[in-house]
Amino acid sequence: MVADILSDAFLAAVAGTGFGAVSRPPRRAFPFIALLSGVGHALRFCLMTLLGVDLATASFFAALFIGLGSLVFGGKIHCPMTVLYIPALLPMIPGMYAYRSIFALVMLMQQFNDPVLAAQYLERMLMNATVTVSVVFLLSLGATLPTFLFPRRAYSLTRKRPSGN
Amino acid sequence: MKSEEVKEIAAFIAEYAACLLGSGVHTSRVIRNSGRIGESLGVEIRMTTLHKTFVLTVSEETNGHSFTRVVDIPAFGVNFDFNASLSSLSWEAFDGRLPLETIRFRYGQILSRGLLSPWVVLGMVSLANAAFCKLFAGDWVAAGVVGLATAIGFFIRLEMQRRHINHFITFTLSAFVSSLCASLCLWLGHTPEIALATSVLYLIPGVPLVNGVIDIVEGHTLTGFSRLIQAVLLVICIACGLSCSLLLVKNSLL
Repeated sequence: MVADILSDAFLAAVAGTGFGAVSRPPRRAFPFIALLSGVGHALRFCLMTLLGVDLATASFFAALFIGLGSLVFGGKIHCPMTVLYIPALLPMIPGMYAYRSIFALVMLMQQFNDPVLAAQYLERMLMNATVTVSVVFLLSLGATLPTFLFPRRAYSLTRKRPSGN
Repeated sequence: MKSEEVKEIAAFIAEYAACLLGSGVHTSRVIRNSGRIGESLGVEIRMTTLHKTFVLTVSEETNGHSFTRVVDIPAFGVNFDFNASLSSLSWEAFDGRLPLETIRFRYGQILSRGLLSPWVVLGMVSLANAAFCKLFAGDWVAAGVVGLATAIGFFIRLEMQRRHINHFITFTLSAFVSSLCASLCLWLGHTPEIALATSVLYLIPGVPLVNGVIDIVEGHTLTGFSRLIQAVLLVICIACGLSCSLLLVKNSLL
């Protein structure tokens, strides 16, 4: 079990850092992106396998954790929250559901003349698309929430001098 | 303050805000950063942002000078380094009361900074997508094939972007080629579906998607929706590319 969690965290860290590289973050941000992606994804894995939480709720709380983490680390390395949390969220994109809804759409077009099969594919497409959209929305919402909870800190992460000087 | 000075500040803020909006920074941050620099220079900044242009008014109280500009937003591609460094610059200007020449000089320094080599990015993205495939419980063969498929697809994307070929065509073609390469897994390994599903995920426009949601919840609904619509169009392009591959191999998948 522990090995599963660790490998989950490691793979997510690699995925988060690599996807983050496309967005050209400052070099000092990479270790923290890796840390947040790894721990965030492992947290979702634990919530789902150990506590039996559903995918959408688990994603929301993992994203909330990543958002809070980016608030803490962002102040340390003077990076806006989005620089750290957007790459860290990417490994949590529900790719299999997205794929299944596209596959169902392709098959629906092939089976248009068979109402029974077509209805099945339509149902599968809608179900998977709903999961995909909900999870993606909850992911971005969860990570953004800390901005509204701690606006003062969130808005001055890139300030190098402590206020009052 | 002289009218010329206000004009110069307006020219700089126009460039600064355009650079931020063009490199994937959400609206409220751009407005805050620009306003902060304006405040440190003694002028008031008001902005209205749209997707391709923004309207900027710089005004000054004592003599009542004010300038309004409609500025085009360039398409730089997402750059988090600009986001972090230019935000820092606005605080430095604010805390240190820097004169405009100094701010402009630092701004130039940040913009001329070297980027991560595209080949390094290509390697990292391929590795990332292979790890992603493992994360979805794909086998090692699938992970290897996905890594390779990503490298080929990303190379095509880089080449097409360098030639300024239309974004939508670039994304569709990259997704098609990547998923076609990944369909090799139908004959190798045991998890062809996972390989096909993950092979195109490196193309997902995560930054505009999240920025769109941030803009909307912060009340910049118009900008947020335009960002989301652009991102969703790219996702549809990815889906089209993937669908083309699926049409070719669907009989082996059923």
